[in-house]
Amino acid sequence: MPSRNHIAFQERGENVELDVDYVVVGSGAGGAAAAVTLARGGSSVLIAEAGPWRDPEDYPSSVYGTMRDMMDSWGATFTRGRAFWPIVQARLVGGTTVINSAICVRTPGDIFEQWKLEHGIGGDEMAREIWEIQEAIESDLHASVVPEESRGRHNILAKKGGDGLGIDSHYMTRYVRDCEGRGQCLQGCRAGRKQSTNLNLIPEVLERGGHVLSCAPVEKIVFEGARAVGVSGRFSHPQNHARGGSFRVRARRGVVIAASVTRSPNLLAASGVESKALGEKFRAHPGAPIFGSYEDPVDMSRGATQGWASMAYRTEPGLKLETLSLPLDMVAGRLPGAGALLMERLEEFRHLAIFVQATRAETAGRVRPGALGRTNVRYTLDTKDMHRFREGMYRVAQVHIEAGARSVLPCITGLPYRLGPDEIHLINEGPLDPRAYVAILSHLFGGCVMGADPARSVCDGNGRVHGRTGLYVADGSVIPTNLGVNPQSTIMGLAVFFAQRMLDDETSANAA
Amino acid sequence: MNWLIRHAMCAMMPGGGTLPGLTAEEAHAYAQRVRAESDWLYSLGLCLGAVMFAITPIITLLIPLPSFLLPARLLDRHAERVVGHRSYLIKQAVFLVRLNAGMCWGASAHNRSALAQPAYPDDPGTYRTD
Repeated sequence: MPSRNHIAFQERGENVELDVDYVVVGSGAGGAAAAVTLARGGSSVLIAEAGPWRDPEDYPSSVYGTMRDMMDSWGATFTRGRAFWPIVQARLVGGTTVINSAICVRTPGDIFEQWKLEHGIGGDEMAREIWEIQEAIESDLHASVVPEESRGRHNILAKKGGDGLGIDSHYMTRYVRDCEGRGQCLQGCRAGRKQSTNLNLIPEVLERGGHVLSCAPVEKIVFEGARAVGVSGRFSHPQNHARGGSFRVRARRGVVIAASVTRSPNLLAASGVESKALGEKFRAHPGAPIFGSYEDPVDMSRGATQGWASMAYRTEPGLKLETLSLPLDMVAGRLPGAGALLMERLEEFRHLAIFVQATRAETAGRVRPGALGRTNVRYTLDTKDMHRFREGMYRVAQVHIEAGARSVLPCITGLPYRLGPDEIHLINEGPLDPRAYVAILSHLFGGCVMGADPARSVCDGNGRVHGRTGLYVADGSVIPTNLGVNPQSTIMGLAVFFAQRMLDDETSANAA
Repeated sequence: MNWLIRHAMCAMMPGGGTLPGLTAEEAHAYAQRVRAESDWLYSLGLCLGAVMFAITPIITLLIPLPSFLLPARLLDRHAERVVGHRSYLIKQAVFLVRLNAGMCWGASAHNRSALAQPAYPDDPGTYRTD
C-alpha cells in the first residue's frame, strides 16, 4: 500500500486500503472546509476526490482545455426538461472553487428565518454561529473587495450603470488575494491569486497528517448495519477514463459526503440510503447574459472576471445582477448567428461587455441517477420564475444603457439581434418559453436537504443523515431553499458548522 | 466523421470578411483532438450535430442536397438558418458544432491577434501524480 499522503491514479492491481477517523467525499467548498475543521480538531482525515489534482501551473488557458481538464463530464451535464440548460460544475481537487469567481457573500439573515419556519432548523443561534465561521473563513482566505487597479472597464461600467439607475450595487468581495485582473477566473487562476481550496485548505489537511486520494470517484458508502464505516471505489484515469485499482477507506468515526448537488444524492441512493426526500428540492440560479455594445473598446478580458454585483432585486422580484467576462473562444460560440454574419458580429468583440442576471428561482427539480454513471436533472422553470427570469434580462439591459451602451444584444430567440436604448422594453415583452434563452445553472441547491422532519428531509440541521449513524452531508445539497446569493460562503459555513458538531459529539462520547 | 465535423465547423465561421475564418486544417486537427480526448457523450453530440447540419438543407433551404454539396453562398445561408431554426431540437443539435467552432477559432493565436487578444499558452493537461 502506498504510504504517501497524496495518492493519485493507481493502475489495476495496485489497490489502496486506508484507515482514518473521517473520510470526506469531495474536495470543493464543503468537503475541504469540513475536512480542514476535522483535521484542526485532531482527527485523521482522508479526502476522496473524483478528479485529478491540478496546480495553477497545470491549469489550461483555453475554453477547450477548461472543458477537458476541469469540468465534470466535459460540461455536458445539463437539465432535462423543456429546455436543455448546462450545469456548471468542476471535477478536480478544489472542486468548483477552482473555476468560479470566488464570490464571497455571507448567508442573508432572512434565510435562517426561512429555514426555521419551513424546515424546523436554523434560527438566530445558527445564524450567529455561521456568521462567526464565515468571518473566520474570510480572514483565512483573504477575502477582499476587487482592488481598483484590477476592476477592468466592464466592472467600472456596470457600477456606473447601477449608480445611474439609483440601485444599490457594489464591487464584489471575493476570496482573492491581490487580484491581478487577468480575467481568467473561469479557467482557474494561473497566477494563484484566487483562493480555491486546492491551494490552502486541502494542503493544510495534508500538513496535519491527512490524506488525499485524487482521481478517486467513490462508488459506494460502506455500512455496518445503520452505521457508515467507510467508502469504496475504483481509480479513474483523468485523461482516458480507464478504470484503475480499487480503493477502500475505513472510517472509524464518520463519512462526510460533499460530492456536489448533482452527485451526493445519487451516491447516497446507490449506497442504499432510502428517503423520499433524496434527490428532491433541487434548486438553482438560472442565469443568462446580455451583451452591451459600447462606443469605446471595453476589452472585458482585462480586469476581474466578475467584479460588480447588485442585490437590489434579491427579495423582489428575486434576482442578482453581476458582471461576467467571457473569453473570445467562448463568445465566438455564444453570440447568435453563424457563417459570414457571425464573423461580422465578432468584429465588435472588443466593444462588448457582459452583464448577467441570476434568477432566484423557486421552481424545484429533481436529481436522479442517469445511465452509465451520469446524473439526470429534471428541471423546468415555471411561469412565475420565467417572469422573474425575463425581468432579470430587462434589468441587466437597463444597467447597460445607463452605463452608456449604444445598444444591447439580448441573445433571445424571437427578439432582434440588437436593441437600441429605446427598444429594450421589448425584452420585458419577450418570450416566457425557456427554450428561447441560452441559460446556464451555476449555483445549485438541494437534493439532500436538511430539515427536522425525516419524511421531508435527508439530513438534520447538523448534516446527519436521518436514520443512519456516522453519515453526514456537507455540501450545497443540504441547502433547502434558494439563497438568492452566491453559495460558496454558505456551503463553507455549513460544512464547518457540521464538522464542529461532529467533533463535539466525539468529545461528549469520550467523556461519557 | 472528422471531415463532416470539419465541414460543419468551417461553415459556421467562414473567412472572406475582415476577420480570418476557421481554416480546414485547424478544424480538422480540432475534430481529431476532440474526438480522441472528449467524453463519449460529448463526442457523440458533436457527431450528431455535424450530421444534423449536413442533412438539414432540405429544411432550411428546401434544397434536397447535403450541406457539403452546397455552393458557398447557399452554405452560408444554411448555416445562418439552421442555428436559428424554430425547431429547438435542430437548433440544439447544431449548437454543439457552433460552440466548438467558436472554441477552436477563438483559441487560435492568429485569430486572437486580429482582435488584440493575447495568444494563449499551451494547455499543459498535466496533474499531480504524487
